[in-house]
Amino acid sequence: MASQGDEAEQRQAVIKCESVYKIFGNNAQSLLQNAQGKIDAKDALAAGCIVGVNNVSFEVSEGELLVIMGLSGSGKSTLLRCISRLTDATGGKIFVDGQDLLTMNSKQLMEVRRDKMGMVFQNFGLLPHKTVLENIAFPLQVKGINTKDSIERAMNMAELVGLSGRENYFPRELSGGQQQRVGIARSLAVEPDIWFLDEPFSALDPLIRKEMQDEFLRLQSVLNKTILFVTHDFDEALRLADRIAIMKEGVIEQLDTPANIVLDPATEYVRKFTQEVPREKVLKIEDVMDPYDSTEEMSDIKVSKNAIIEVVAEQILSQDKAVGVVDDNDNIVGSLHSSHVINVLFGNRSQEQQG
Amino acid sequence: MPSYLKSSKAIQFGVLFIAFFLLNALIGPSESNYLWRLPPLLKDIPFLINDLVRGLMFEWMPIDVYDPSIDEYEQKPLFREITRAISSSFSFVINAVREFILGGSKTIVAFSSWDFIKENPWAVWPALPWTVVVGWAMVLGYKLQGRNLAFLTGVAGLYIAAFGQWSPSMQTLSFILIAAPVSVFLGLALGVFAYKSKAVEAFLNPLLNVAQTMPHYSYLVPIIVLFGVGDHAAALVTILFATPSMVRLVLLGLKNVPTDVVDAGRMSGCNDFQMLFRVLIPTAKRDVLIGVNQVVMQCLSMTVIAAFIGAQGLGSNLLIALNSLRIGTGLEIGICIVLIAVVFDKMSLAWANKQTDYFADLSFTKRYRHFLIMAAILVGGIVMAMIGSIIFEEDFNYFYIVPHNKGLTTAPFWQAGVDWVWDTFFYTLKSFNEWLITGVLVPMRDAYLAMPVVATFLLVMGTAYILAGLRSALIVGGFLLFIAFSEYWDRALITMYMATFAVVVSGIIGITLGAACAQNTFASKAVLLFCDFLQTFPSFIYLIPVIMLFGITDTSVLIASLAFASVPATRFTVEGLRSVPPVLQDAGSMCGVSRLQRLISIEIPIAFPHIMLGVNQTVNFALMMVIIGAFIGTIDLGQLILKAISEPQGTGIGITLGVCVAFIGLAVDQIIRTWANKRKLALGLN
Amino acid sequence: MKRLTKKLMAGTFAIGLALVSATGAASADSSEPIKIPIKNWSSQIVMAHVIGGMFESMGNNVEYVPVDNQASFEAVRVGDITILQEVWQSTMQNAYYNAMEKGGLIDAGTHAAETLEEMGVPNWVIEQGLCPGLPSWEALKDCSAAFATPDSGGKGRWLEGPQSWHGEVMPNRIKGLGLDDTWTVKFAGGADALWTELEAAKKEGRGTVIFNWTPNFTDASGFTFIEFPEYYDGCRIADGGTMDTTGCGSPKGWLKKGAFWKFPKTHPNAYRAFSQLSFTTPQIGSMAALVDVDKMTHEDAAKKWLADNEDVWKPWATSVLGEGN
Ligand SMILES: Nc1ncnc2c1ncn2[C@@H]1O[C@H](COP(=O)(O)OP(=O)(O)OP(=O)(O)O)[C@@H](O)[C@H]1O
Ligand SMILES: [Mg+2]
Repeated sequence: MASQGDEAEQRQAVIKCESVYKIFGNNAQSLLQNAQGKIDAKDALAAGCIVGVNNVSFEVSEGELLVIMGLSGSGKSTLLRCISRLTDATGGKIFVDGQDLLTMNSKQLMEVRRDKMGMVFQNFGLLPHKTVLENIAFPLQVKGINTKDSIERAMNMAELVGLSGRENYFPRELSGGQQQRVGIARSLAVEPDIWFLDEPFSALDPLIRKEMQDEFLRLQSVLNKTILFVTHDFDEALRLADRIAIMKEGVIEQLDTPANIVLDPATEYVRKFTQEVPREKVLKIEDVMDPYDSTEEMSDIKVSKNAIIEVVAEQILSQDKAVGVVDDNDNIVGSLHSSHVINVLFGNRSQEQQG
Repeated sequence: MPSYLKSSKAIQFGVLFIAFFLLNALIGPSESNYLWRLPPLLKDIPFLINDLVRGLMFEWMPIDVYDPSIDEYEQKPLFREITRAISSSFSFVINAVREFILGGSKTIVAFSSWDFIKENPWAVWPALPWTVVVGWAMVLGYKLQGRNLAFLTGVAGLYIAAFGQWSPSMQTLSFILIAAPVSVFLGLALGVFAYKSKAVEAFLNPLLNVAQTMPHYSYLVPIIVLFGVGDHAAALVTILFATPSMVRLVLLGLKNVPTDVVDAGRMSGCNDFQMLFRVLIPTAKRDVLIGVNQVVMQCLSMTVIAAFIGAQGLGSNLLIALNSLRIGTGLEIGICIVLIAVVFDKMSLAWANKQTDYFADLSFTKRYRHFLIMAAILVGGIVMAMIGSIIFEEDFNYFYIVPHNKGLTTAPFWQAGVDWVWDTFFYTLKSFNEWLITGVLVPMRDAYLAMPVVATFLLVMGTAYILAGLRSALIVGGFLLFIAFSEYWDRALITMYMATFAVVVSGIIGITLGAACAQNTFASKAVLLFCDFLQTFPSFIYLIPVIMLFGITDTSVLIASLAFASVPATRFTVEGLRSVPPVLQDAGSMCGVSRLQRLISIEIPIAFPHIMLGVNQTVNFALMMVIIGAFIGTIDLGQLILKAISEPQGTGIGITLGVCVAFIGLAVDQIIRTWANKRKLALGLN
Repeated sequence: MKRLTKKLMAGTFAIGLALVSATGAASADSSEPIKIPIKNWSSQIVMAHVIGGMFESMGNNVEYVPVDNQASFEAVRVGDITILQEVWQSTMQNAYYNAMEKGGLIDAGTHAAETLEEMGVPNWVIEQGLCPGLPSWEALKDCSAAFATPDSGGKGRWLEGPQSWHGEVMPNRIKGLGLDDTWTVKFAGGADALWTELEAAKKEGRGTVIFNWTPNFTDASGFTFIEFPEYYDGCRIADGGTMDTTGCGSPKGWLKKGAFWKFPKTHPNAYRAFSQLSFTTPQIGSMAALVDVDKMTHEDAAKKWLADNEDVWKPWATSVLGEGN
């Protein structure tokens, strides 16, 4: 799906939101006009409105995976629906690949959806009257691709998501995990640039969820899409995210890398939210390493600065000397001593709890 | 209003009833007391309507039309020319289908002239041997579903042919083949419009109700004038009658499509058209198919009424048979109608359920196998017919077409059956009948008639207020006001008394029976089949044994109504209960509730909206049958409608009376629907 | 759907064509079919086929249209049916004259047959002595109890046809004769309801006073009409009579024919034959009997009747040709 403007827009955000609002209710417009910046949820309620998304601005760049988190009802789905324009935002601007989404007519919108967007739904949204193959082929057939080609492509997609042998099953004959595989395959069938996933795994049991997450990471490593991923499972967010946005009552409280969110919560809400999160799962070596001191005696092993602590902690702890931290080119950029690791992992938290 | 009054519906009803009875006691009959009866302020309405309709039919926008048959120009109103053009196209299509099967020359005439036919005696399409038509239908059944449907089709065809009902059956079929698809299509289109726009829905809803509740007889005259008599007019009336429930079910189905599926469709980049035909309608298939089934059933249930305005076929033969009390023949014809309904229904369902097989081997012979077989059947059938003409030289040719009312007959057997029923049940039922009439019906009717008009309003509007709120109460009041200001209030009260009785009893029967049968897959299927039977088996047939047993009394009218009006209540209860998600049933079971508790506290509340849709239809069906009860002998609105047909101002009177009946239906509909919606919201079912 | 629209358009177009191309010479009958109504009683249907057969023998095209009796009077006004072959005075004169008044229907003469439509009892009622003194109406004064039904409030019941047939004539008659203390009128919904009642009463052996007519298929099992005070013009309230005179019985009724007003112009020969056509009571009775007694189909009965009675109908058909020159 490479467009001619690729070079020029290299640095440009793929998705860009500017002060997006979504307010449900009849008085939405007047409420919006009177508001400067954030709308107070109580005022809105008094006016008979419900605020779904409240003054949200952010950018997602190409190949980035942004996870949107928040409690139930915090507006995650609504935000996603605004960006995919399944619902019209009450106010603000949304750009996709530099194009203003809100000014598009339904035909342009259709084109964008057919070529650029794919979406996976919490409750799968499979067409009950179509088989696995037909469901996957559906977006292609909608585009006008002939039956033979679309079915062929659907076969490949089915194989990709591990559904070979079940092509002619109906959704009702599949397990939840299998159904969501169909949903994923369908959303990927048109090779979209942007991939929306709204709590894709939350209807699945933990084992299957883990399996699907692995599957998802595998796919992403191959496909490298720009992704908006909604979840309310922090573990899931940590496993997947490049950056995380935390929402509360329609407002994005903080948008940052997982490490920063954990180490440096912007608001009390975020702090509480991240409190129980195991540090070793979030932090990378980079986040906790000491500056490289060439005089220090180093251990034989080296760890990558991008490694998650949890993964390499055992290695480091088994060493008496400091461990070297290397970047992608194998240059040493820092060092890490086991005592420091222990401190980061446990000391820090006990401090917080006391304070 | 004090708050304790608001708190409990029971108390509210208590207060309402006390007030009602007080009013009843205080206000006695008196012509001058407007609390007793309102003055007939609207008594000129029928004449206004009459002038309006007649103006439209006979005077509005006259255009000169040349009539070659009398070599003169004639002034004809534009509107009627338009409606007549519609009629012509309908009758052309119907005739084309009919003559394809039964032979004839009208289709050829459509492309030439009667003179041409006269001069060219060869210009007649020959009838197909029945064996060919049945063979083809069997192939179709096989292709659509398999051996079972082919077998069923074969048996039905054999029955129809052997019992000498071939020609009338094919005549009936030919107009159903037009009316049913048109109804389905219209129903889909209107349902979709209503789904897309709340305004359209609000606008359509009362119209659909009027179309369903307005007795056919009341607009027979305008239909005849505008569309003529014949199969086309019958098809139009049938369409008018069969479409509303399709619209309803399509709308219901579309509204129930999960948002995820809608979103998925949109994110797949569907345009509106694709969205509709590839996502929404297929996903709403269950309800759409129920709609198709309803259309088929209602089309066939109209065969007899259709005969009143010129539909050829089984309906008119049935009327003739019944008029000389040949019940046996009537029954045979009735069974033909049911058979056609069942086959037609099964075929349309099978067609709708058909899946594409992408891996099919599409070699020439395989792909065209069915056509080859059909060609073989054609040849075989013709050869057989020729052989038949030698074998059955003396008699008619069993292998070509068995003439009407010849062939086999079981009429004497059925006749004996009716005698048996009479011998067995008459004296038992006689005392029951006497008790019912003197103990229940007459007192009930007298009580209705003894209500002062204010008391009626209080009761109905009060009920509406308690169950459905102020808005509904006002709307219902408006409907009643129209009737009260017309001259027909007392007649309407009699209609109401019969309808109330029929609705209450058939509601109880239907819901109980439905709930009982829904517990078991086999029983569900059986009862739904029985519903199909009752709905399509012409009520006129059992009217006769019923009249024999119960006399020309309200009992007969009510029993006929019950048989018909219990159908939707039963059907919708079964369907509603059967579609309660298994998860919920399991959840209930795990909470340790008993089977009955589960039914009452989980399944019925969940299925409630669907059941209410059924009750709503029951009201319509009951009203319809009570009005048709005029053919037995009643003194309500129905009798006046019958009478109006031949009166000079009949058009207006008929329509006004029809509107009165429809308003009764609409009032009930308003209460039930709003109430059901409230319950739905309260239960969070949306 | 596309196909359907196409078909519809083709149909409309074709009909347009048919209209344009159907140019008939004024003197000869048009080849457009004559539409004959089929109603739901035997004599009418057989007569329809008899008349149709006669038209066909004259070279006309004929089409049979099933139609409800009440509806037929509207249909004939706009030409959807061409003729009305059996209009009974007592039950249909209202509809007939109303339609004529509205325009489009013309009087096409009267059959020789005289009809009688009256309240009466099946013969077994008299044989069993359920109401001694019948058929004189005076007998009704003392026997009402034997004719009571559960819903008649203890009074004897007259089962009259639908209200559309004669309006208030029977209720008025009961009052006029002073029988209203002991008798009441119930309107049946249609002819089948009447015959069913007849059958049911016979089975139970109970009395019934019921509206009926002759010639009818019920003649076979015996039916006696009650003799009321003699009818004269104007005795009924609706015709200007008073309560004292309205107790009069039914007149010997006529049996009329009617036609669409264009019929004489489009099919002059057929019209003249139709207006001359006149059946007698026995002739109509014999038509009905072929079906009701001999159990033939209506079509076969008509064929047989036409074959057996050529001398009756041939003159109507042929005299026209002679006069047409
Ligand atoms: N169509 C609607 N009309 C009115 N209010 C709505 C509508 N859709 C969502 N809301 C409200 O907007 C708010 C945000 O809802 P949203 O579905 O975006 O939450 P969510 O974060 O996706 O929650 P969950 O995790 O449960 O999916 C909620 O308060 C909800 O009630
Ligand atoms: Mg959500």
